Amino acid sequence: MTGKERIRKAFSFEETDRIPWVPFVGVHGGYLTGENAENYLKSSKCIVNGVSKAIELYKPDGIPVCFDLQAEAEALGCRLKWAADNPPAVVSHPLEGNMDTGLLPEFTKEAGRIPVFMEASRVLRKKHPGIALYGLITGPFTLALHLAGTNIFMQMMESPDEVIELMEYCKDITKKMASWYIREGCDVIAVVDPMTSQIDPVSFESFVSPPAIELFEHIRQEEALGSFFVCGFAQQNIEAMCRCKPDNISIDENIPLSYVKEIAKELKVSFGGNLKLTSVLSMGSVRDVELHTLETVEQGGDSGFILAPGCDLVMDTPADNLIAVGRVVSDTYHREFLKTLDSAGSSIEASDLSGYWKDDKLIIDIITLDSSSCAPCQYMVEAVKLAAEKYGDLAICNEYSIKTRDGISMMKALGVKNVPVTVMDGEVRFISQIPPSSQIDSAIREKLAAKNLL
Amino acid sequence: MEHNEILEKIAYCIEFGKIDRNSPFPPNMKGQDGAGEYTRQALEKGIKARDVLNHGLMQGMDRVGRKFRDNKIFVPQVLMSAKAMNSSMEHLMPYFTSGEIRSRGKFIIGTVMGDLHDIGKNLVSMILKGNGWEVIDLGIDVGSDKFLEALEEHPGSVVGLSALLTTTMANMKETVEKIKGNNRDTCVAIGGAPVTQEFCEKIGADIYSPDPQGLVDHLDQRFSTG
Repeated sequence: MTGKERIRKAFSFEETDRIPWVPFVGVHGGYLTGENAENYLKSSKCIVNGVSKAIELYKPDGIPVCFDLQAEAEALGCRLKWAADNPPAVVSHPLEGNMDTGLLPEFTKEAGRIPVFMEASRVLRKKHPGIALYGLITGPFTLALHLAGTNIFMQMMESPDEVIELMEYCKDITKKMASWYIREGCDVIAVVDPMTSQIDPVSFESFVSPPAIELFEHIRQEEALGSFFVCGFAQQNIEAMCRCKPDNISIDENIPLSYVKEIAKELKVSFGGNLKLTSVLSMGSVRDVELHTLETVEQGGDSGFILAPGCDLVMDTPADNLIAVGRVVSDTYHREFLKTLDSAGSSIEASDLSGYWKDDKLIIDIITLDSSSCAPCQYMVEAVKLAAEKYGDLAICNEYSIKTRDGISMMKALGVKNVPVTVMDGEVRFISQIPPSSQIDSAIREKLAAKNLL
Repeated sequence: MEHNEILEKIAYCIEFGKIDRNSPFPPNMKGQDGAGEYTRQALEKGIKARDVLNHGLMQGMDRVGRKFRDNKIFVPQVLMSAKAMNSSMEHLMPYFTSGEIRSRGKFIIGTVMGDLHDIGKNLVSMILKGNGWEVIDLGIDVGSDKFLEALEEHPGSVVGLSALLTTTMANMKETVEKIKGNNRDTCVAIGGAPVTQEFCEKIGADIYSPDPQGLVDHLDQRFSTG
């Protein structure tokens, strides 16, 4: 099953072979390829390189072409302030004080950096045919805020008709962006409208729902999928968001996944999220990330759920942490391993290894989940035992299953973090992959030679 | 109108965002006096400016802060309330200048470096002001040095850092480190849509609140003289 198929099926609650995973790579793509945020977001070549690198490392099912909620505003005359390690920010609002949209330049496919994003979509589509490409567009309310500034909040109360008119205009912009991305090969249009987290359900239904409903209908007619993204605390509007009839909604850690799951499933909208961006993905250890991913995956369940970070990834999120997310998603044995650790690991002490190593022997320990139920574990145990056989009593093989207390104690004592793992005289030699017999043999010979046993 | 009644009118107008007679919002109060007119009337009737602040404005903003915390109202409503509060405050400004009204303390606030969002910061500023704090607003995209300079100018102030972007939260960490490195007793509060208690503990800040009223309550507890 390709990533694209997996996403499509998850969006319609069909069975998938595993939970799909979509890292929201924005300027993080620049971090992976050594570009600052400004260069990255201004060059289709940089975007293609960054996204391709993320695909290679994180093995996702879907990925955004770009995560920049300022591009439409820029094309419509908002000034941007650029930063080296962040997406740009809008610093001027052409409709502040006068909401006449006739004052704005025409919104065309050639305006601002839109050609950069379209070119990147086109190239990525060709390069990665099996991945679901997400075209991210600025949601109508966030775009209206970029254009008119924060006064719009008060204008919603004091002159609602003008705000409704502006929202109509923004809806037309979003429909154009959606169509352009779809024509360049994007499978999913993600309507990112974080500023809706700041308004109440009545305001949402009055000002946001009508344009959003029309936009998602438009995306459906163009035979693409629609996802409604919101970052921030937007719990009050989840139901209203689902009623706009997107195929999917995606939320961040501010909203409990269980809450969204319940409402979204009832309204037959798939849902995604909500890995913690900073405290875990950006600042946590690989093990923190693995356990948090496991917890999120278990909460989300295996029907209609897409695993994703809550929002745009912090630029310098360690790649190892995101690789770890991919591993938890795709490796059933690793998940089992983490569950075992999580449930029993903390109460069990590490084995005492004093006197364990011998001068006249090589001790080979293979830490497994359980070689009878974990195929890679079984192959590793068989391969290592076979290679060790010809050295007779000089090389002793022991298997430790982490389903036993002894196994966990041994794993802790050896400092092992994955299964299956082969450890020779306390040194980790082979992790997860089963090496060819020649490599196992040379590792054994090397160890025996060092002890003058050959 | 009795004194208590007029103070309650001020609180009510602030709670519901009724700025003045000309303001069309809320629709059910169209054509009626608003916070500005009632404050002027209160002072004309000889009610002490301090009482107008404590029992009118602060009462109203306290209700706003609590409703915002409980997700009963959101940003648009709070901004309308703040606008109403400002129309009251204009009448009280001379009493701050003369020293008849004193603030509860100083609060330096800014959105951290790299982040240009100001809605959250402004909401916090308004609610703090409405609760009697003097707010020194450093604006947006504020580097740690600027916070340190402000602290030098206003020693003993509480510092509030705001961030809307997950991508700029890292700068919050750096700013907290610099402030604490300079004086570890400085109380630092952090907030913003992506910020969490877990993050607050991780970076060594003192106060996190998901809403402005929570911050006011924390400050009340921490700096209570009673």
